[in-house]
Amino acid sequence: MNNPSNVKLRLSNSELWGGLIGLALGGFVTWSGLKLKLGTINDPASGYVLFYTGILMCVFATSIIVSAITEGGPTLASRWENVRWSKPLLVIACLIAFSFALEPLGFLLSSIPLMLLLLRLIDPVRWTLAIPIAVLVPSGMWWVLKRLLLIQLPSGLFGIG
Amino acid sequence: MDTLANVAHGFGVALTGINLLYCFIGVFIGTLVGVLPGIGPISAMSLLLPVTLSGTPESGIIMMAGIYYGSMYGGSTTSILVNIPGEAASVVTCIDGHQMAKRGRAGPALGISAFGSFIAGTFALVALMLVAPRLAGIAIAFGPAEYFSLMVLGLVVLTFLTQGSMPKALLMACIGVVLGLIGLDSITAQPRLTFGRMELIDGIGLVPVVMGLFGVAEVLLNTEQAIKRDIINAKITQLLPNKADWQASAGPVARGTLLGFLLGILPGGGAVVASFASYALEKRLSKTPERFGHGAIEGVAGPESANNAAAGGAFIPLMTLGIPPNVVMALLLGAFVIHGLQPGPLLITQNPGLFWGIVASMYIGNVMLLILNLPMIGMWVQLLKLPYNILFPLIILFTILGVYCSSNNVFDVYVMIAFGIIGYFMRKLGYEPAPLVLAFVLGPMLENNLRKSLILSQGDLWTFVQRPISAACLALAMVLLIAPLLPALRKKRELVALDEGA
Repeated sequence: MNNPSNVKLRLSNSELWGGLIGLALGGFVTWSGLKLKLGTINDPASGYVLFYTGILMCVFATSIIVSAITEGGPTLASRWENVRWSKPLLVIACLIAFSFALEPLGFLLSSIPLMLLLLRLIDPVRWTLAIPIAVLVPSGMWWVLKRLLLIQLPSGLFGIG
Repeated sequence: MDTLANVAHGFGVALTGINLLYCFIGVFIGTLVGVLPGIGPISAMSLLLPVTLSGTPESGIIMMAGIYYGSMYGGSTTSILVNIPGEAASVVTCIDGHQMAKRGRAGPALGISAFGSFIAGTFALVALMLVAPRLAGIAIAFGPAEYFSLMVLGLVVLTFLTQGSMPKALLMACIGVVLGLIGLDSITAQPRLTFGRMELIDGIGLVPVVMGLFGVAEVLLNTEQAIKRDIINAKITQLLPNKADWQASAGPVARGTLLGFLLGILPGGGAVVASFASYALEKRLSKTPERFGHGAIEGVAGPESANNAAAGGAFIPLMTLGIPPNVVMALLLGAFVIHGLQPGPLLITQNPGLFWGIVASMYIGNVMLLILNLPMIGMWVQLLKLPYNILFPLIILFTILGVYCSSNNVFDVYVMIAFGIIGYFMRKLGYEPAPLVLAFVLGPMLENNLRKSLILSQGDLWTFVQRPISAACLALAMVLLIAPLLPALRKKRELVALDEGA
C-alpha cells in the first residue's frame, strides 16, 4: 500500500522543492563569487570563499534532490496536515502589514493595531482584555524607552510617538 | 595558588551590587524561559542581547550566562509537572520525571533535578577554572590553519547532531556562512551581496537573524496548535529526596556530570546531546532497565546533571579559543563583540577581571538557582498557567522592540520579520536553523583564517594537514561527514540527532 503523503517525482514533493530552492541559491552564490573575482590560491580575493561555498551548496542541494527523487518525500500538503495552518499565515500577514506601516505610521500607531490583531487572531482573547493590553503594553513600552532610556522610536508621518 | 588568587579576584568582581543584580536577573529570566514551553534560552538571550549594551561588559555577559544555565534548571520543572519540555535539553526529563509526578513523587523529582543540577554546575565551574587557563596557554600557539580547521569541525559536529538529513544541515551551514559574509570584505573592503543597499554595507546583524529564526519562527510554529497542558495540580510536598533516592541517584549524578562536561567542551556538542547521552548511559548501566520510562529517578538525576555540566563546559572553547561550540555560545560571543571584546587565549591574561568575574558569578548564580527552584517552586507552577494567547503577541512585540533598540534601525525589524517567516517555512520543511546561526557567526572568522593561512603558506593546501591539531580536526570532520553513509553509523546518528533550536 502506497503512502499518499509520500511521493517521489511529483511537483508536490516538498523535499524536491527544498532541494531546488537550495540549488538556485547555490547557483546564485557561485555566480556572485565569480563576479567578485576569485583571485589566486596564493592571494584569494573577495569572491573566493563565496564561490566555493556556492559550489558546496549546489552539491548538498543536488544530494537532497536525488534523495527526494529516489526515496520520495512528504507532500507539501502533508506538512500542514492536522494543524491550524491558517493561524501562522494570519500572523505572517499581520507582520508584513506591520512592516509596511511602521515607517509611515510610527511605532505607536502601527504596534497597537498589531497587538490587537494578534490577541484576537491567535486564540481570541475577549475584547475587554484585548483592547487594554493592546493599548497599554505598546504605550508603556514606548514610555519606558522614550522617557527613561531616551531611545527614539519611529514617530511616522504624523509625528506621534 | 594563582588560581585561588584569581578566584578571589573574580568573587570581588561578581559580588559588586550591580553584578549581583544582573546575575539575579539572568538566572531569574533563565528559569522563567526554562519553565515556559515554546521559549528557549536562545530566544531569550537574543531578546536581551541589546540590553547588555546598557551596562559594563561584565554585567551584560554575567546576565547572558545566567539565562543559559538558569534555563537548564527551569526546563526540568515543566518537563516533570506538565510533560512538556521547557527547553530542548529537558526533553528526556519528561520521560521519567512526569511519571514520577503522576505517582505523587513530583517533589523528589524536582528536588533531585535541582540538587543534581547544582552539583553538576559546581563541578563544571571548578573544572572550568582549572582547565580554561591551561587550554588558553596552549591556544596561544594556534595559527589561522588550526582555527580554520577547528571551526570546520565545530560546524560539522553540529550538522551531524542536528535533527533531519545531514545534507540539509550542511546546506543550512553554507547559507549561514554566505549570510555572514554579506557586507564589506574585511581584507579588500569590497562590498559583497549588498544589492546596492547602504544598510547591508555593515552586514546583517546577529540580533535580527536570531530573533527572527528563533523568536518569531517559534511563535509562528506554536500558533499552529493549541498547546494542551496536563499540569500536576496536587500540592508539591517533600522536595528533599530520601536516602534511597540519593543512593539511586549518586551514580547517575556523578556520571552525568562527567559526561556532560566532556560533551559540553566538544565543538557542536552541548546540553541537549549531553542529556540524551546520559539517559542512554544510565539505562544501559541499570540492572533494571525496564523501570526507565515508568518513573526511575536515575532517568531524571543523570540527564539533569549532564545538561548543567555541559552548559558549564561549553564556556571553555568560547573563553579559551574564541570559538563558540553551539548557538547559545555564539550569542554570548555576540555580547562580547558588542562590547569590543574578543574572547580567546588572551582574554584571561588581558582581562582577568572579566573572565574570573564571569566564572565566580556562575557559582553565585548556581546558589541563587537552588533557592529559586526549590523553595519558590510554587511560583513557577503558577506561571505555567499563563495563557499563551496573551504571551505570544507580547513576545512578538518584545522582539520588534529588542531588534529596533539594538541598532535604532527600522531595516533590522524588516530583516527580523523576513527571517521569522523564512525560519517558519524552513522548520516546516525540516531544515533546522541552528547550523545556520552558528555558521553565520563563524563565517567571517572562517573566511579570514582560511585566506590568512593560504597567504601565509603561499597557497600550499598541505598547511592544513601538516599541522597536527589542524589535521586531527579535519580528519574527525571527515569521519563525521562520511559516517551517515554507513548504515550502522547512520542509525546511531538518528538516535542522538536532536532539535537544538527549541
